[in-house]
Amino acid sequence: MKVSYNWLKEFVDFDLSPHELSNLLTMLGLEVDAIEQLGEGLDDVIVALVEERAQHPNADKLSLCRVNNGTEILSIVCGAQNFRSGDKVALAQIGAVLPGDFKIKRSKIRGEESFGMLCSEKELGLAEESAGIMVLDADLPLGAPVFQALGLKDTIFEIGLTPNRADCLSIIGVAREIAAKLGKKVRYNRPDVKEEGSDISKVASVRIDDADLCPRYTARYISGCSIAQSPRWLVNRLQALGQRSINNVVDVTNYVLLEYGHPLHAFDYRQLSGGKIIVRRAGEGETFTTLDGQERVLNHSDLTIRDDERPVALAGIMGGENSEIADDTSDILLESAYFNPSAIRLTSKRLGLHTESSHRFERGTDINILTVALDRAASLIAELAGGKVARGTIDVYPSQIPEKTVTARISRVNEILGLSLDEEQIAAIFTRLEFGVERVGEGVLRVAIPSFRVDIEREIDLIEEVARLHGFENIPLSMPVAQVFSDRIPRNQQLERELKNLLVGEGFNEVINFSFASHADLLKLKLPESDKRSAAVSLLNPLVDEHAVMRTTLLPALLQTTARNFSLRNFNLRLFEMRRVYLIRPGEELPDEPLHVAGIMSGLRHPEGWNQSKESVDFFDAKGVIEAVADKFKLPALTFVQGGVEPFYHPGKAAAILCNNELIGTIGEIHPDVQEAFELDKPVCYFELDFAKLVDQSAVTSVITAPSRFPDTYRDIAMLAADETSASAIIECITSTNIDKLRSVEIFDLYKGDKIPEGQKSIAVRVRYGSFDSTLTDEEVNKFHQKVINTLTAKLGVTQR
Amino acid sequence: MRQQLEQMQKDALAALAGVTTEEQLQALKVRFLGKKGELTSIMKGIGALSSDERPVIGQVVNSVRDCLEESFATCAATLKASLKKAKLQNERIDVTLPGRRSPRGTKHPVTLVVEEICDIFSGLGFLVAEGPEIELDYYNFEALNFPKDHPARDMQDTFFVQDNLLLRTHTSPVQIRTMLQQQPPVRIIAPGTVYRCDYDATHSPMFHQIEGLMVDKGITFGDLKGILTIFTNQMFGNDIGVRLRPSFFPFTEPSAEVDIACVICRGKGCRVCKNSGWLEILGAGMVDPEVFRHVGYDAEKVNGFAFGMGIERVAMLKYGINDMRLLFENDVRFLSQF
Repeated sequence: MKVSYNWLKEFVDFDLSPHELSNLLTMLGLEVDAIEQLGEGLDDVIVALVEERAQHPNADKLSLCRVNNGTEILSIVCGAQNFRSGDKVALAQIGAVLPGDFKIKRSKIRGEESFGMLCSEKELGLAEESAGIMVLDADLPLGAPVFQALGLKDTIFEIGLTPNRADCLSIIGVAREIAAKLGKKVRYNRPDVKEEGSDISKVASVRIDDADLCPRYTARYISGCSIAQSPRWLVNRLQALGQRSINNVVDVTNYVLLEYGHPLHAFDYRQLSGGKIIVRRAGEGETFTTLDGQERVLNHSDLTIRDDERPVALAGIMGGENSEIADDTSDILLESAYFNPSAIRLTSKRLGLHTESSHRFERGTDINILTVALDRAASLIAELAGGKVARGTIDVYPSQIPEKTVTARISRVNEILGLSLDEEQIAAIFTRLEFGVERVGEGVLRVAIPSFRVDIEREIDLIEEVARLHGFENIPLSMPVAQVFSDRIPRNQQLERELKNLLVGEGFNEVINFSFASHADLLKLKLPESDKRSAAVSLLNPLVDEHAVMRTTLLPALLQTTARNFSLRNFNLRLFEMRRVYLIRPGEELPDEPLHVAGIMSGLRHPEGWNQSKESVDFFDAKGVIEAVADKFKLPALTFVQGGVEPFYHPGKAAAILCNNELIGTIGEIHPDVQEAFELDKPVCYFELDFAKLVDQSAVTSVITAPSRFPDTYRDIAMLAADETSASAIIECITSTNIDKLRSVEIFDLYKGDKIPEGQKSIAVRVRYGSFDSTLTDEEVNKFHQKVINTLTAKLGVTQR
Repeated sequence: MRQQLEQMQKDALAALAGVTTEEQLQALKVRFLGKKGELTSIMKGIGALSSDERPVIGQVVNSVRDCLEESFATCAATLKASLKKAKLQNERIDVTLPGRRSPRGTKHPVTLVVEEICDIFSGLGFLVAEGPEIELDYYNFEALNFPKDHPARDMQDTFFVQDNLLLRTHTSPVQIRTMLQQQPPVRIIAPGTVYRCDYDATHSPMFHQIEGLMVDKGITFGDLKGILTIFTNQMFGNDIGVRLRPSFFPFTEPSAEVDIACVICRGKGCRVCKNSGWLEILGAGMVDPEVFRHVGYDAEKVNGFAFGMGIERVAMLKYGINDMRLLFENDVRFLSQF
């Protein structure tokens, strides 16, 4: 909302610069978002007199003028036609800078020197369009800056008003705040209406059918108006606060809206059948054309203003085309009413019709300002449109709304704020806010709340007023005195951070993608419809189709992130994301939001460098990361189960990860089809784990075994095994020998190719033996080792090479 | 014979002085001290000497041998040292070549800021709490004193899943869930992901907030100022200016916006702070009695304060990031700088 510095000064005296005022407002809770200085830097545009206008000797369309700037006569070339000798005009002198950084310089135009420029309103930023230069009133002082002479020099504050402060949606409202803070009084000028002729009751009547939505309706009748352009001052005021001028009558209603914060509406009286106003809910499905030309379909929750036959306005939101002020309107019925905030809001929201009027009504207007605003507007219309205001006011107010009082305890005020104010100090603050104060007991005040403060209903609301007016900056800092209590950081939170640290240590960059996904993304993963990830939580109002559902897996977003990085020529990627996924839980109020951790690996294994190997990452790099996680979390042994894992993995290069027979995640190379669907031109390895399951399986404490004081001995076996014989089968076979001196088994070489018979592989294993009692002798080790070889041969049919 | 010996010693020492390789040294050793060397062949003449001369010459022989052996040893040592030196010199590398590195990972700036803020408040005895992102209207609005059809709801454009189910628009519902689960005293900090139906240069439909709540006997607005000052000092530096100014949130009263002195211009006024010298970083206030009513706390017995801030905003100020979209584009050239 915008307010004008000059306009505020009409209601309250203050001696603050615009900058100081801005600060004062902000510290009162009326945050100034922007300050606009009207006419700033335009002091070199002055009121000047055209002494003589003559034809330019070398150009038909130009004139050569002798212009008096108050101190000397200047020669000026001008292209406009709409002025004569003797006119006062706006002269931009040499050195002036007009809006748009247009610098005025001494120039020669068709051979004649020009010492300045005569300006149009457009050139001064006063209007969107203008025909010809600005011709000023003859009584303006010669040589004075034009903006000053016209009273246009002003500062406009854009206030980001919070929704609770309905009372500040006006000049008077903001003036009240300034007055309260500075301890001044607001100048309320009770408007003086000159009534003439017969009583309004002779020509108009008002009936409220739905008093729950409209508790009070007031009206005045003004006859014999001439609809015309508004005077300059009125247009300027409206424009300065961002409103377009329409005509003198509509402009007055808007002016009063800005000044008092109360929306009014002017009806063309001849369009009101029977001179009647009926306030009633619309019929279900009733259509009505608002004055923006839109046809609206109404329902029973919408409140309308009607005459005998039809709606003439959508109450509190917008008037109707059928009764708007026209160029030939002469008699006017002026409305000033109070409408129920939530009813206005409901209709305004449903119709998507937000107006200056609905904005104020839905926040709550002052029910006691109605007749004041009405009188202010009536007297202005009488003055500007030459109308006659009929005697009397219609004021239908079936059940008077009682004055609000709220009790405030001095002790409570101080307790909440950490202050030690006494009763007088607090009462003084309330008085400055125009609240009525009555002492009703020791340290207890009964505070009468003026009707414009719709936000104040409870003691805490009063406490806030004390804090605001006393100044937040004057409340001393303190530290809470609190009981010591201590809970350890929950295990999942601790492990979450440790897991991130580990992945960072493994060279992964953490990414954060939006939690949104699209159905199309899920389809690209080839998940069957029965998969629970296919049924995602969908949004009723997504911003775009790509963000229509909540993601059920981290994969699509990570693939998209990978593709984006590929397109930026970032090929060596290790990315991880640790975020929630959202899974529907049938029968539950809320979906499940398990925290998942997923990683992508692609490109070179080592950072590029003059001395680095150039191998690409593969499945086993990703698996190594999972093994590191298992070590860190002290998980029981993991099992990697191949085959039929996920449709989005390469069928031969993927595994389900099991821990204690529970599936904790999957790992694999992305299927070439999926890779292609996400426009990835290089292979990508991926893993995704369910974090809660990791936490469940991780050991809280672990027992450390002291190593033997004697060295281990090892033996290597190179063997030919069938292709299908898995590494884990070989290791299990060796450990199944139950040799108690066997310490570890390690696969250290694998070869397939020319030198090996088809269908077989060469695999080399190092077995370590050791004892806690002595260094094992060769004979002992050989004995154990022979048993290992025999078992392998017998169980797996391997041949030693 | 003595002369012969002395001459030989002289020759040998002269030859040694010219030795540069181990082979030369070995050859000289054979020539002078070897089994068929010069010393041996001179010594063959001892037998022909008189018994008087023999011990005298014997002594000379010994002294010559000792001298030569010592010289050969010294020469060998010197030679070895100089060869080693030469070898080391040959092994010189170009230390300006880049080192061999392992891939280096990074945390996302949002995570870094969340961790830093949680650490600061953990030190003040606050526990980290969490809540669902897909949330009931009741926790997100109703219990936080946003009545239905109230203009305050316009402050937060909401994504809906169903009529009463939505994507939480702030982390404040965690306050409600926490208070419903426990009795005072409460000290929590709740980081989390939140959503608003808004997307432009300065708004992201998904972003992060961190919420704080302290409820206990006798908590005051002054305490809120105290805690927030500690926080801003630790986060942005001890000399950072802080100001609270009145604002409005349905779930706190009195409510405040908290500004810190602009970290770019230090309060002088610049583009980032729109010439005000101040940057808005968080919203705060005393917990509204209506909120206590919803969770069954007695507002006459306990008071509390709550605050919340946008993580992205803090991250952008802390790292000098001027475009929020960078945080979610996940370009590794951006991410790897943290």
